[in-house]
Amino acid sequence: MIEVKKISKNYGRKKILDDVSFTANKGEVTCLIGINGVGKTTTLKAIMGLTPYKGEILIDDQKMTKDSYEKITFIPDAPTMLPQMTIKQAMVFMSDFYTSWNPERANQLMGFFKLKEENRISELSKGNTAKLNLMLGLSLDVDYVLMDEPFSGIDMFSREQIADVFASHLIEDRGVIITTHEIGDIEHLIDKVILLDNGSVLKEFNTEEMREEEGKSVVDVMREVYQS
Amino acid sequence: MMRYIKLVNFEINRFSKIYLSLLLITLVSQFAGVFIVTKSLLNDARDIMKEERLSEAAYITNYGGIDFNHIANSLLFVGPIALSAVALIFYIFLIWYRDWFGKNTFIYRLLMLPTSRLSIYLSKATSIFLMVLGLIAFQIIILPMENALFNSNVPEVLLSEMSISTITIANPILSLIIPSTFTQFLISYGIGLMIMSILFTAIMFERSFRIKGIIMGLLYCGIAAVLFLAPVLMEIGNFYFYPNELFGLMLAIGIILTGLSVWLGAWLLKNRVTV
Repeated sequence: MIEVKKISKNYGRKKILDDVSFTANKGEVTCLIGINGVGKTTTLKAIMGLTPYKGEILIDDQKMTKDSYEKITFIPDAPTMLPQMTIKQAMVFMSDFYTSWNPERANQLMGFFKLKEENRISELSKGNTAKLNLMLGLSLDVDYVLMDEPFSGIDMFSREQIADVFASHLIEDRGVIITTHEIGDIEHLIDKVILLDNGSVLKEFNTEEMREEEGKSVVDVMREVYQS
Repeated sequence: MMRYIKLVNFEINRFSKIYLSLLLITLVSQFAGVFIVTKSLLNDARDIMKEERLSEAAYITNYGGIDFNHIANSLLFVGPIALSAVALIFYIFLIWYRDWFGKNTFIYRLLMLPTSRLSIYLSKATSIFLMVLGLIAFQIIILPMENALFNSNVPEVLLSEMSISTITIANPILSLIIPSTFTQFLISYGIGLMIMSILFTAIMFERSFRIKGIIMGLLYCGIAAVLFLAPVLMEIGNFYFYPNELFGLMLAIGIILTGLSVWLGAWLLKNRVTV
């Protein structure tokens, strides 16, 4: 389980996160939702140790160490490999540094996304870059996957392909934390929603319970919260 | 340890094209220098002999023989050394900033590797240091060839032959980069390592605290410079040290500053740096 306990973060005098707390379980998809600038990406970066913060974050009851990167991965919305690299070189780099790299799964995802090993990263379209990021992240045998806006700025067909991955065995049993604006594509796959506003958790709910008890979808709750 | 070595290899490969270009420029420029400067020296000598109606022996008596020092002091010889030095100093900054800026943010991947941040820090420092040593090794290899070529191009009567050690001692730049004693090696390369670690730490301050970090980095560089030069500054203030004491003090301060800079830089990279 990922436990985020009262984390706060300032950029200069601006408060980005203010006592944010939530948990994300293995085998569940947790979605961080909020308008731009509410601290979704900063929360993911804090979990990954990519930005300092006040508070505590535990992954399976332990603080983040270098070994944690073998069990948790972050898929940002920007390419994380050198532009001059080919996809093949990026895969070799990953297998060189991560013992959790799974080459069979990488090949499976390469085929699914129709990516070619010889393609240079700098020449990839926005959609294919997102697919490459997803391929590199999901090819690690990790327990937790953090994704930052995986559907941002990409075409409908690529979005559908990425959404298909969510429904597949590639995600099963893993704990996923995702930030997205394109909630419609994966709403039916989300287990838990954390609504953020001004760096604080505004509302936290289980999607199934919300549907069953109040008859509301995630989008309904979002409208209620952000448009009120 | 394996990941650290892989990172060093990775960093060196990333700079390999520019690095090989530097080696090539050094090779071409210095050999061209041997040909061009030798020809010019011989022409000058012949002109003087003609004008003053001197025999070769009389020319040697009046003006001395032609030696490799003329080549080693020429722009074509010293220029590529200076260019390489500037490129490597520039690379101290580039090796960090290129991972943060540009289209691809490779720093995400680098900081998410299952290896300690200290390894990442040290791999970058090691790759720069190895590249410096590589350039020096290359200079050590080609210097005897250049000297042999020079000796074969100058007529024996006009030639004032120099050994490699004499050439390196006589030329201030060569004596700096190719130390003749172990102590000299410690001074030249120890100071180089210390400066690199201080600059790395200043970069980490900037990456951690941005605008405030620039001021902190500059302050850190200033304080480090004052601390390192403190024994010399004390001498200006009429506090006398014996040469051995001065060397020992500066060596001790240098080691402490380098260790502190590496520790602080790696700590900032682990705990304060923001992607």
